[in-house]
Amino acid sequence: MSAHLETAGIYVHVPFCLTRCGYCDFNAYAGLDHLASRYVGALLSEAELAAPAWEGVEVVSVFLGGGTPTTLEVADLKALLARVRSVFAVTPDAEVTIEANPDTVDEQKLAGLLEAGYGRLSMGAQSFDRSVLAALERVHQPASVIEAFRAARAVGYDNVNLDLIYGAAGETLESWERTLRETIALAPSHISAYGLTIEPATALGRQVARGDVPAPDPDLQADMFEAACCLLGDAGYGHYEVSNWARPGYECRHNLGYWERRPYVGLGAGAHGYRDGSRSWNVRPPEEYLSMIERGELPVGGSENLEPADAYLEEVFLRLRILQGIPASWVDDGRADPYLETGLLIRDDGHLVPTERGMLLLNELVLGLTG
Amino acid sequence: MDTSHIRNFCIVAHIDHGKSTLADRLLELTHAVADRDMRAQYLDRMDLERERGITIKAQAVRLTHNTYELNLIDTPGHVDFTYEVSRSLEACEGAILLVDAAQGLEAQTLANFHLARDAGLVIVPALNKIDLPAAEPDQRAKELADLLDRDPDDILRISAKTGEGVEDLLKAVIDQVPPPTGETDAALRALVFDSMFDPYRGVITYVRVQEGELPSGSRIRLMATGAESDAEETGVMAPEPMPVDALGPGEVGYLVTGLKDVHLAKVGDTITLAGKHAAIEPLPGYREPKPMVWSGLFPNEGGDYSELREALDRLKLSDSALSYEPETSQALGFGFRAGFLGLLHMDIVKERLEREFDLELIATAPNVEFHVIKGDQTTVVHNPAEMPVAGTFDRVEEPIVFATVITPKEYLGAVLDLCQSRRGELVDTTFLTPERAEVHYMLPLAEIVFDFFDHLKSNTRGYASLDYEPWGYQESDVVRVDVLLHGEPVDAFSTIVHRSKAYAYGKQMTERLRELIPRQLFDVAIQAAIGSKIIARETVKAKRKDVLAKCYGGDITRKRKLLETQKKGKARLRKVGRVDVPQEAFIAALRADAGAKKK
Ligand SMILES: Nc1nc2c(ncn2[C@@H]2O[C@H](COP(=O)(O)OP(=O)(O)OP(=O)(O)O)[C@@H](O)[C@H]2O)c(=O)[nH]1
Ligand code: SF4
Ligand SMILES: [Mg+2]
Repeated sequence: MSAHLETAGIYVHVPFCLTRCGYCDFNAYAGLDHLASRYVGALLSEAELAAPAWEGVEVVSVFLGGGTPTTLEVADLKALLARVRSVFAVTPDAEVTIEANPDTVDEQKLAGLLEAGYGRLSMGAQSFDRSVLAALERVHQPASVIEAFRAARAVGYDNVNLDLIYGAAGETLESWERTLRETIALAPSHISAYGLTIEPATALGRQVARGDVPAPDPDLQADMFEAACCLLGDAGYGHYEVSNWARPGYECRHNLGYWERRPYVGLGAGAHGYRDGSRSWNVRPPEEYLSMIERGELPVGGSENLEPADAYLEEVFLRLRILQGIPASWVDDGRADPYLETGLLIRDDGHLVPTERGMLLLNELVLGLTG
Repeated sequence: MDTSHIRNFCIVAHIDHGKSTLADRLLELTHAVADRDMRAQYLDRMDLERERGITIKAQAVRLTHNTYELNLIDTPGHVDFTYEVSRSLEACEGAILLVDAAQGLEAQTLANFHLARDAGLVIVPALNKIDLPAAEPDQRAKELADLLDRDPDDILRISAKTGEGVEDLLKAVIDQVPPPTGETDAALRALVFDSMFDPYRGVITYVRVQEGELPSGSRIRLMATGAESDAEETGVMAPEPMPVDALGPGEVGYLVTGLKDVHLAKVGDTITLAGKHAAIEPLPGYREPKPMVWSGLFPNEGGDYSELREALDRLKLSDSALSYEPETSQALGFGFRAGFLGLLHMDIVKERLEREFDLELIATAPNVEFHVIKGDQTTVVHNPAEMPVAGTFDRVEEPIVFATVITPKEYLGAVLDLCQSRRGELVDTTFLTPERAEVHYMLPLAEIVFDFFDHLKSNTRGYASLDYEPWGYQESDVVRVDVLLHGEPVDAFSTIVHRSKAYAYGKQMTERLRELIPRQLFDVAIQAAIGSKIIARETVKAKRKDVLAKCYGGDITRKRKLLETQKKGKARLRKVGRVDVPQEAFIAALRADAGAKKK
């Protein structure tokens, strides 16, 4: 189904954070900073171990995610990117993103990152409402987002993303709209807005299960999504994935790679990779990852070969997410009709594309279309 | 064997008055069970009986005491199982009538006394639980003596808990209950009073030999069905199965019939020997009990109709009060319309089917039987779906019962109010004792079979008791209430109720379903209707959001798995018109949470 030329992305996972946010179920840990330098060393080794298999493949994006990559020293981050560039065929104009927490960066650090080659900055703002940040158990304050953002601009960052989360306990539609306006006022080139999802194995998940905290109201989250579509659209951001908006030309090339099912390398604890219909992932616990690398092994935790049915389901669900839609011919006759009639899908140039309402019901669409 | 040393007797009483506990003491007294194997209510063998603390099935056991062979039957006390009691009585010459010395006479004390007396049994009355501080033995003895028309001094006093007085009671049984009669030389006639299906041995019957002899391994003939078979084994329950060479006149025991077809051995049938020694006249047998409530039983999703049929056939062997006929529901597929003696019986049958046959079932809302009359034609309706459209018949009749409530006199007013509010017609009120009133009412069965008992108990602080027997049919203003999802009637939710109850049913069902039906892509109207008239309505608002928020970091596998899980969930939905209804919604909406309580 995919006929892309072999270009790839590289994802590097850094599992360290200052504190653990209540809603977070990523492979991230607070209090493991003492492992940082061993970990950087391991990443350098893994890059070397992994690279031969990718010889001749052009790498068009590198993404340092986490966790909080900016908990690492600039020197380490610089060495890391240099290693990646030296062992993989990274194109000169590759998109290189680093995730940052407002509390872990200042002007000096940001200048260092830019200089080291991290040309795109993705910052976890989440909200500009103090009480929402508290509900999410985020440690930073709204002011530090603004400060960090201004610092990024001051040192010359042009391509900055701000992450937002909506639907935490106590957040109202008005508060969310204020967060959106404040975000727009900062004029980042890219905005991600995620509806809060309660994951059972998190602090927040347990609070919700106990009934101490209400679960997000899906109807309110739907209103919030619509508000985001409306305000961000008016402000000139293009909606190019369910939860992502960008100024023209600033769409995240790396993330698009996932969604378009292009190959990617995963480096670091718990990182996932994909190539030729097969997915694999590294072991999750940092200690285990470290010791495997230090023994000279590839730290593979598991893998799967996609059956045609799996691949089809993925392709449909990912393509619907990025609003490219899917060719109408992929869907059995008649399956799309109820959604076309009720305005969840539209037909565009032989493709079935979700509308805004359809995006909110994407799971239904995927299940309904794939049967 | 000489029948003069045989005593056949049962223990009858109101529920919880201590029958099974007394049976324990008798097992101990006669050394029938080793100490280490003894446990409370030994004869309550089913898990369900032990969990609920009630006897469901009568149990016959053989005890040996001095030179006497004692055949004891412990019976259930709950009104739904009266049929078990009346069958047991046919196998006995005497009955211990037990009365809780704290509670005194109750509705099933009277009912069981009348049954035993009418069956011609010698009654040995005893007060139980005299160890209780609240026991009032003198007062209770006088009341019981009045009922039996005897001298209060004839009433024995025991504690089945401590064992006090139990030996004297056993002696009284041996002295007062006559031995069975019956010639050894006569042609064999043995009454089948119970049966069961054993997966390895086939049909096992429990019999009382009236006359003649039933040797192990003989060729037998079941007189009603005409089936013949080589019986594999005769034996007695002592209390575990123990083979014997033969069962003689007056003896009670089991017979492994050698039959595998459950339809060939009916409770109430007479067993005789095949061939030239066969008896000519069968024993009178039993009157088939009349089901009081009906409900649809359907296999849960993917479940097998033929497995359910097989399970019902087998269960019926050990529960002859169960009846059933095939039924098809649009919403639930193929199943059965089953008749039960009450809601407890229904509940027990459903649980036994699920546990003993590993089935998952959906039971539809129970209803009583209606007679729809047009001209001189009567149609019997067990199933709301069969109820003809209003205007196409002359009238509908509903079953009426003759109910007896026994209550301390301070709650008499509350009892009368309750019966009155249930469309009851007072027959009379008498005083059993200066403290205890016996109230007789004509009541529609539909009014008492569901939650009446709970109300009776709560309005009288648990002191009143209820018994009822079918009386006849009476014209009634009943209607069928349908439940519609998005305009589509769901037959499984239809019910027939008195017009005054229609709104409450409609409201309850629509409210429950609003909680149970997941949001769909469109607003789902949930309506209750009588004909085309909507009497209640709820709406499940359309779902607006169902999307995975975040899909990044490359972990696509996990997201795909989430979708696959969701897909599996969808496969378990039943479509009603355009609406997806989860299986659990049927089960939960139809759960009879009121009325089906234990006691
Ligand atoms: N204190 C006291 N409790 C008793 C006595 N006999 C029975 N009980 C208790 O009364 C309760 C009911 O006893 P069962 O023997 O199960 O009563 P039952 O008559 O067999 O009940 P059903 O079979 O359900 O009708 C149990 O909790 C017994 O422990 C007694 O003599 N004294
Ligand atoms: S900073 Fe990000 S990765 Fe770290 S705990 Fe918070 S949400 Fe998780
Ligand atoms: Mg009992």
